[in-house]
Amino acid sequence: MSDSPSSGEPASPQAAGLETFRYDDGLPRMFLMATLVWGVVGMLVGLIVAIQLVAPSLGGLHEWLTFGRLRPLHTNAVIFAFAGNAFFCGAYYSMQRLLKTRMYSDALGKFHFWGWQAIIVSAAVTLPLGFTQGKEYAELEWPIDIAITLVWVVFALNVFGTIARRRERHIYVAIWFYIASIVTVAVLHIFNNLSIPAGALKSYPIYAGVQDAFMQWWYGHNAVAFFLTTPFLGLMYYFLPKAANRPVFSYKLSILHFWSLVFIYIWAGPHHLHYTALPEWASTLGMLFSVMLWMPSWGGMINGLLTLRGAWNKVASDPVLKFFVVGVTFYGMSTFEGPMLSVKTVNALSHYTDWTIAHVHGGALGWVGFITFGMAYWLIPRLFQTRLASPKLAEAHFWMGTIGILFYIVPIYVAGLTQGLMWRAFDATGRLAYPDFVETVNALMPMYWVRVVGGVLYLTGAILCLGNAVVTWARRPERYEEPVYEAPALGPYEPSSAESPWGSKRGDGGAFFDLRRFAALRWHRRWEALPLTFTAWVVVAVVVASLFEIIPTFLIRSNVPTIASVKPYRPLELLGRDIYIAEGCYNCHSQMVRPLIAETERYGEYSKPGEFVYDHPFQWGSRRIGPDLHRVGGKYPHLWHLQHMEEPSKVTKGSIMPPYPHLLRDPIDWSAAQKRVEVMAMLGVPYGDTVRHAEEDARAQAADIARALGEQIHPNDPAKQAAAAERYKDKQITALIAYLQRLGTDIKAEQAQKK
Amino acid sequence: MSLSDLISHMDLSVFPEVALVIFAGVFVAVSARTLRADRAAFEAAAGLPIDDPAPAREEEPRE
Ligand code: HEC
Repeated sequence: MSDSPSSGEPASPQAAGLETFRYDDGLPRMFLMATLVWGVVGMLVGLIVAIQLVAPSLGGLHEWLTFGRLRPLHTNAVIFAFAGNAFFCGAYYSMQRLLKTRMYSDALGKFHFWGWQAIIVSAAVTLPLGFTQGKEYAELEWPIDIAITLVWVVFALNVFGTIARRRERHIYVAIWFYIASIVTVAVLHIFNNLSIPAGALKSYPIYAGVQDAFMQWWYGHNAVAFFLTTPFLGLMYYFLPKAANRPVFSYKLSILHFWSLVFIYIWAGPHHLHYTALPEWASTLGMLFSVMLWMPSWGGMINGLLTLRGAWNKVASDPVLKFFVVGVTFYGMSTFEGPMLSVKTVNALSHYTDWTIAHVHGGALGWVGFITFGMAYWLIPRLFQTRLASPKLAEAHFWMGTIGILFYIVPIYVAGLTQGLMWRAFDATGRLAYPDFVETVNALMPMYWVRVVGGVLYLTGAILCLGNAVVTWARRPERYEEPVYEAPALGPYEPSSAESPWGSKRGDGGAFFDLRRFAALRWHRRWEALPLTFTAWVVVAVVVASLFEIIPTFLIRSNVPTIASVKPYRPLELLGRDIYIAEGCYNCHSQMVRPLIAETERYGEYSKPGEFVYDHPFQWGSRRIGPDLHRVGGKYPHLWHLQHMEEPSKVTKGSIMPPYPHLLRDPIDWSAAQKRVEVMAMLGVPYGDTVRHAEEDARAQAADIARALGEQIHPNDPAKQAAAAERYKDKQITALIAYLQRLGTDIKAEQAQKK
Repeated sequence: MSLSDLISHMDLSVFPEVALVIFAGVFVAVSARTLRADRAAFEAAAGLPIDDPAPAREEEPRE
């Protein structure tokens, strides 16, 4: 225990400029417990959705529990609640020590903690209720987004206030990673969530179609970088040396690691949109930079592992180090795989399949999870100031977790490859070998079962960790010790100070441009010492890179060639689309047919950018658990959809889509139509006259669809037809059918005209 | 002529190349600086996480 309080010579407080202070460990203590509790909750929800894929009837228990609503709850909980709290816990613990000061404000810290937990609770309530923006990992509706911004600013204030008050000149590299995370996440969050409210918990993004997709994956990609990678690299650079009691192997390498991530990562976003309606150059750019990312990431991994040089004997006996070693190894694996997945030919196969899910879980369970658990086991005895209740269970957790990861990712890789290959398989006659999509789903069931086993193992491990923490907490001393520390205050910054890692080779002074001085790069040293300037540079790097990516898509008209026959959704279709969003259908269905033969063969005409110009938000999706729906309009009669939505497995044998009986029961919210069309019009959707009678138009279309439904249900009985029409004319299913039947059909009008 | 028109007429394939050159350039500069840096001083920085000072006094009631 390198930092266990040992009674040194009590230094005289009167000694020149010495200041005394204590650390605030109450805050990391609370964040640690929150991390473990939310970790268990988030992983439990993950396990539930994994089980739903093998036992879809479970989703039919209640509409709140359907896959489309729970899956966002799972992702949000593990990202923002588990990983988020872990980052805050580690940052508050390490910053105070690295900067030799208490956090700037206890009150801001408390506000941060309770504010963040309140946000998590509101997410856990609103997501199952179907309040969502319909953009992955940015599902939370606008009031919660505002709360997130506020809490984030408080966090940032506390961090920068602490840095300003520090008693250690050099800002250790872990804190660079924290700063980059804080500022970048703020930029990402704000720009991806710009939207216009259309109700207390409903909004439409200001971007549409291709642009919305671009913003979303700029966000999605960089959220992985700056919420799940850089914070945890910061934690790694602090807690790994700490646990090994060795300085970081190469500080130089850690600095290179930092700058290359800041400079390169943000460029790689467009690789999420290969073969979509995205311009070629943007996608090539994404690929190039993704591949470049590989190098610094491996530098970081090697740096982490080599920090353990000479301490490998400790790894065998210390669960903390074991978690770190496996975690860092998974970092290396994921960062090798990521660039590989961004190569277009690989992506053509992997995209929309479980391969992505396996990749993500290697990173999430292996890297984020294991760094967090390693840190937790290191912190528990120190924060609760007593021995860890059961080191044996910690060891058991390590093995369960490791085996759990393997049981999760190996079958899911197999599932991804299997499905990807089945989608593109042709038989000898040149037709699709598996034309029924559901065949390609049923082939995965054994793999999905193994994943459930892996999930159970990993979750059990997490529960053991929580239990271990709770029991240790129960054995805490009556009063926590709060030792007093002393350090001299920092004087004003002296550029020539000998402590500078960049040496003190002085230039001759006075020279207009002194090369040697420049080469010594004292300027860099200087703005590192000035945290605000440093932060500004990080922001510049991030923003410039983002602009390079984003501006062209927004300015170039030729990017989104207009298609004259593409018209705005009619009000009822818009309401149906909102149901599609609320139910989270995008979690299982894409709306983006790629220009690949296997896809046009299966789904029809590939998707054009111009078809999405009124899609606020875009619904391209990222995973095809079910088939692509972009060309589903007109494919089936209304009745087929009605029956399919009520109980998919009755219509398609072996379907794993959840049943949606409530859509046949619940009424349409007519009063919403007007407001929503108005907001759309405000966003520039040319609704023309319809703006003035949105509800009327919606009711008229609903009556038409209900009438057609009646005729299809009772072809030979006019009386019953009327009754059925009456029954469905104000039900949600009718709005949803209106939307589904409209999907991807506008372009057909154009083609018909040409003929 | 609007900005959109202007940009629409540009050859966009230069974007990746320009971007690459700029960022590769900055990256090389940063790398060069880091590699030239003085090793000994870096070692001090590398040790920051593990050289926590011992507390000056064990415990002292706050109130
Ligand atoms: C758990 C994932 C899942 C969710 C969530 C889901 N689906 Fe499906 N969906 C599937 C699967 C699998 C199929 C293929 C088997 C079948 O036809 O039922 C499918 C098929 C479909 C089809 C038929 C497509 C075709 O071309 O044959 C439609 C339409 C559809 N889903 C609409 C929806 C809508 C609307 C929602 C949201 C209310 C939704 N789905 C939610 C998995 C899902």
